[in-house]
Amino acid sequence: MSGVSTAAYFARRAAQKERVRILYRRALKDTLNWAVHRHIFYRDASDLREKFNANQDVEDVDRIDKLIGHGEAEYNKWRHPDPYIVPWAPGGSKFCRNPTPPAGIEIVYNYGQEDNP
Amino acid sequence: MALRNAVLRHLRVPVQNLAVRGSNQSQIGFLGSIRAFSSHDDHLSKQDVVDRVLDVVKSFPKVDPAKVTPEVHFQKDLGLDSLDTVEIVMAIEEEFKLEIPDKEADKIDSCSLAIEYVFNHPMSS
Repeated sequence: MSGVSTAAYFARRAAQKERVRILYRRALKDTLNWAVHRHIFYRDASDLREKFNANQDVEDVDRIDKLIGHGEAEYNKWRHPDPYIVPWAPGGSKFCRNPTPPAGIEIVYNYGQEDNP
Repeated sequence: MALRNAVLRHLRVPVQNLAVRGSNQSQIGFLGSIRAFSSHDDHLSKQDVVDRVLDVVKSFPKVDPAKVTPEVHFQKDLGLDSLDTVEIVMAIEEEFKLEIPDKEADKIDSCSLAIEYVFNHPMSS
């Protein structure tokens, strides 16, 4: 059994912890997307935190994997169709909107009137 | 703000000087990289970033404000959970109007890393 603390066990646990952190981050952002007003968001965020804290002390690696899978399925079910993304980030409204022009592009100030300066 | 005023002062030229300016190609090239009326003109100073990040960390309910310094580590020094670190990083994102990708956000573990990341990000405001 994986009760023996090998390097592989620790690597697996570390990967699981990272998955949990990323899942918590996305779920929190989604909660903010759904609950726009801060007082509702705070309530929902504490509920989410309780859900994560309830399973904090599970030691069995396979059970942890199953719980993370459950969590990710729930997150996919609750994803917001129109999330708030910062405008300049990919997916936002300003992304690629006004790229800086390439170097060497200049404005000709007397176009059409080069003959009479 | 100062940058925008400097550029606007530069643009207020009488008409007959334009021909002279037009011959000075390198100057126009430099001007082309400054965008007038852009909203990307706040470049934060390091002290500003430090102050705002520390304010965010101090107003976290589970943190003791007296212990917060610019080099404090969230989990080792402040005794926070990894989920608390996630919450603090999200609060910093909201404060500076940033969007940090998930992999980067996972690595931010201490105040010094956060301050460095925000200061070096081109779009923090």
